[in-house]
Amino acid sequence: MAGSAHSVNEHSLIPAAAGIGLRFPHHELVVQGRPDVAWFEVHAENYLGGGAVRRVLTSVRCDYPLSLHGVGLSLGSAEGLDGQHLRRIADLVRSIEPALVSEHLSWSVVGGRYLADLLPLPMTEEALDVVCRHVEQTQAALQRRILVENPSTYLQFRHSTIPEWEFITAVAQRTGCGILCDVNNLFVSASNHGWDAEGYLKALPAAAVGEIHLAGHALRTLDNGRTVRIDDHGSSVAAEVWALYVQALRRFGAKPTLIEWDTDIPAFEVLLDEAAQAATLMRAVAANHACAA
Amino acid sequence: MPALLELQQALREQLFGDAAGGDHSAAGVALLAGDDGALRLAIYRNTALSTLVNALRLSFPAVRRLVGADFFEAGARDFIRRNPPRSAYLNDYGAGFPGFLAGHAPAAALAYLGEVAQLEWAVNRALHAGDVGRLDLARLAALDESALSHVSFTVHPALSLLRLEFPVDAIWRAVLDQNDAAMAAIDLAAGPVHLLIERNAAGVQVRRLSAAAWDFTARLSAGTPLSAVLADQPDGEVDAWLAEHLALGRFIDFSSTTVTATTGAAGETRS
Repeated sequence: MAGSAHSVNEHSLIPAAAGIGLRFPHHELVVQGRPDVAWFEVHAENYLGGGAVRRVLTSVRCDYPLSLHGVGLSLGSAEGLDGQHLRRIADLVRSIEPALVSEHLSWSVVGGRYLADLLPLPMTEEALDVVCRHVEQTQAALQRRILVENPSTYLQFRHSTIPEWEFITAVAQRTGCGILCDVNNLFVSASNHGWDAEGYLKALPAAAVGEIHLAGHALRTLDNGRTVRIDDHGSSVAAEVWALYVQALRRFGAKPTLIEWDTDIPAFEVLLDEAAQAATLMRAVAANHACAA
Repeated sequence: MPALLELQQALREQLFGDAAGGDHSAAGVALLAGDDGALRLAIYRNTALSTLVNALRLSFPAVRRLVGADFFEAGARDFIRRNPPRSAYLNDYGAGFPGFLAGHAPAAALAYLGEVAQLEWAVNRALHAGDVGRLDLARLAALDESALSHVSFTVHPALSLLRLEFPVDAIWRAVLDQNDAAMAAIDLAAGPVHLLIERNAAGVQVRRLSAAAWDFTARLSAGTPLSAVLADQPDGEVDAWLAEHLALGRFIDFSSTTVTATTGAAGETRS
């Protein structure tokens, strides 16, 4: 690919290493200082326009492997995908040729209105059909495989019949998409609903897992005194989530692992420390595996 | 068991509709497992609303300074409930906010608030408009005089033209700079301003034009053929205005309706 504007050969794969979610406050630091980070991930919806922000993305794409993480496709919308939004995402994918593209097992759009959160789906056969149809439609429009992320949820529906781990596994098996295993989301949802987090990890098809996410979460007490874990990406990764990450590494092997931080975004060094912690655990688990083999 | 579409409609009503925060016996809540579904739904409602309030806060910083954080939050929530976004591309969300503010009774004391919001929306558009190629000046230069006079232009998507009753450009700068002296010096009765908002390599620019230059630019931007605009424009400055627009890349394309010799029919060429 001589002459490519994006050094496609060098950065066309996300390494099995720790990356960082790039947010606006760190744009200048990353473009000017080119810190030593294995790869970056950005939210697709923040880069659909042009101008200065888009120039930053092009620059980062030249210097690092890049993963594009969508938050607005609404794969679980009963009324179908927003064709205009899918075209915008497809244009961005064509333009920057990211190494990975991912979205969520959730919905946000109904009646042509975007409800601005990743909302939970009922775990039903109908919802499974809807999600599979939309993953296939997305993969056809982007002409590539995507990863689908397990959500963090705070409520469940009475008429759900399929455990979430079976649901997301079925999506991967039917559509050929990969799984983005968000270990923090898994821990949050398992805690909120009384699921067995390790059992969830064991139920996922290891070969389909293409990426891991890590982030911080918060505890909130409801008016009835019960505690809910909230996936606010506003603090360091919790100790229990690091422990579950080790289980995930044992189960899936070393995978590209992302540190996400979206509220009260700290100094970049804090994110580097979190990424270093993930890298250390990845090496330790790999070494243990080598000894055991 | 409700169909997925019914469930999603019911939840929209719970999150953004009339039932928001109130009717816990409504259809959406009845679908939820456990006895505290309404409390759990409120988590999603808070996240969605704060995400959208934040999107408006980023696009309308001067409006927020003018009315204060609490007033802004309340007005934004009211607007969001009535006008949820039509797309997940939130840089596109808020086009209706200036009109909402202009008709927002609690804001009536600030007569220029709606116009400040109009300017901020134009600035937001200039920031985020898609990147486009430049007009091919060589192709334009190759047209003969007749074809040239029939040219009509396509304006750059980042460019807006606003004619406002108040000196909103001065208000906007004074508010964002928190410059009380500049704010106090503004004569609100000075008459309308004619603004051009655009993006160049240095960032977003807000320029004041003369009424004549603004009219000329607005008509060309609306796609009026050059000959028609020139016919109504006795002023000798138009050559300079047009040269500046072309040099600064304010038009990205043109078409020319000409009579072609071979067919005798009107044909259209597009660069």
